[in-house]
Amino acid sequence: MDLALQLLFTGIGIGAVYSLVALGFVLIFRATNVVNFAQGEFSMVAAYLMVVAVEAGLPYWAAFIVALLGMALLGAVFNLGVYYPLRHRSYLPVIIATIGASILLANSVLAIYGPQPQVLEGWFETPGIQVGPVYLDSQYLLIIGVTICLVIFNFWFFEKTLLGKKLQATSQDKEMASLLGISVSTMIMITFIYSAVLGGLAGILVAPVLFVSIQMGSTIALKAFAATIIGGFGDVAGAIIGGLALGVIETFGAAYVSVPYKDGFAFLVLIAFLIFRPQGIFGERVAEKA
Amino acid sequence: MPLLEIRNLVVRYGEIEALRGVTCAVEEGQVVTLLGANGAGKSTTLRAISGLAKPTSGEILFDGKSIAGLGPEAIVRMGISHVPEGRRVFPGLTVKENIMLGASNRRASTSEISREADAMFDLFPDIRKFTSALGWTLSGGQLQMVAVARGLMAKPRLLLLDEPSLGLAPVIVQAVFKIISEIRRNTTVLLVEQNARMGLSVADYGYVLETGRIVLGGKPDELWGNEAIRAAYLGGHAKASA
Repeated sequence: MDLALQLLFTGIGIGAVYSLVALGFVLIFRATNVVNFAQGEFSMVAAYLMVVAVEAGLPYWAAFIVALLGMALLGAVFNLGVYYPLRHRSYLPVIIATIGASILLANSVLAIYGPQPQVLEGWFETPGIQVGPVYLDSQYLLIIGVTICLVIFNFWFFEKTLLGKKLQATSQDKEMASLLGISVSTMIMITFIYSAVLGGLAGILVAPVLFVSIQMGSTIALKAFAATIIGGFGDVAGAIIGGLALGVIETFGAAYVSVPYKDGFAFLVLIAFLIFRPQGIFGERVAEKA
Repeated sequence: MPLLEIRNLVVRYGEIEALRGVTCAVEEGQVVTLLGANGAGKSTTLRAISGLAKPTSGEILFDGKSIAGLGPEAIVRMGISHVPEGRRVFPGLTVKENIMLGASNRRASTSEISREADAMFDLFPDIRKFTSALGWTLSGGQLQMVAVARGLMAKPRLLLLDEPSLGLAPVIVQAVFKIISEIRRNTTVLLVEQNARMGLSVADYGYVLETGRIVLGGKPDELWGNEAIRAAYLGGHAKASA
């Protein structure tokens, strides 16, 4: 029982990272109808930015802000360079462009930083606290705390503000949104910046737990993508629940069944969902068009 | 000077010439109805005015200023609001939210917009009880009310209405046209209708569009008086030519 509690904590912690990246997937998908295959590289680039900023001698919090500002900039450049020129084309050229961008980002970092994985310290000096039978790692606590705050922020932003409603309207019917005077290109720009920051935040938070490597992006992205399918593609709540579920499942699988197959469990669950419930836990709630 | 003036408007979709030189005008304060069969170019005319379709050639003057080629976001800011065919109510947003977004073309605080949206239900009492229902749950008539209310939130000088009666039961059509006759007190309306009888009943002036050209224009009683037109478009039972 004690072990199960401990695993649940760790699983939720790692699942929260998948949730953040999955949220970025979903937001861009809803705004542009395209899966951004470079979403994982956003996490990777952010982790490297963080490493660079810390090495440059910035205090941790300042490095954090610098890295996130860098991600906002990357999101904007990504939109202008990858999505915007192809926005009137079908989804296929855009998807290929995001794959291309993902290769470009990974190899640029490789060219600059080399293949050696980097280590990023955690935010806190204390490694963690013991609460009863469960050891709460401080970095996982941070991940979970930040994710909770972001989920609340996300809900408030999309459900309670007019700007959030405009973003939703744009994702549901771009032409109609433009007829109302909503600047569609601005809404899509906001979406890319927000998604890049979310992905970046996930990368920065998870970096002290994993190694900072070129491959970390694709690993996280695959899991997050699986999470969006488990949760119900295109669904915000689904992405968050799917991410958490995946984190918990793979942690338990690794502990009770087999450690080497840890990544395999995530994809086993994905395949099971694709066969038995392809619409995911929450299904597609908004019909494409009435 | 008419509020809206269209001269020799040509719109091409690839090889297809949807409009082949449309010339017409809408005077301020009037309701003008554009009649014609399916595929005559009625919707394309509205889409060109609101910026959704790029004119190949010709002029569109709004209040004397050329708007041909501007994007929809710029045109709605100038005061032309387009309620397109098919209502296009956002399915995943509530009725109130849909209506509030109609004010996206102008600067106003959220609380102001919210108050104006609430006031909109006085004009559309039938949808008041659906304030927080999601768009996709509504019926066709309710969607049309929401779409028109949303269009009016832009405080337009010119409202473009595309086939508001399409697919609605006769009693709902009556309700929609009652609203149009109320709107006309403050707003100029350019109405596209297949239902000629209803379309002309609220109009000050009407045009008949045939395969991308205006073939006739006149006051509603003049149009009623034209035998050939009456047989082709206004009879209601006569077969419409494509």
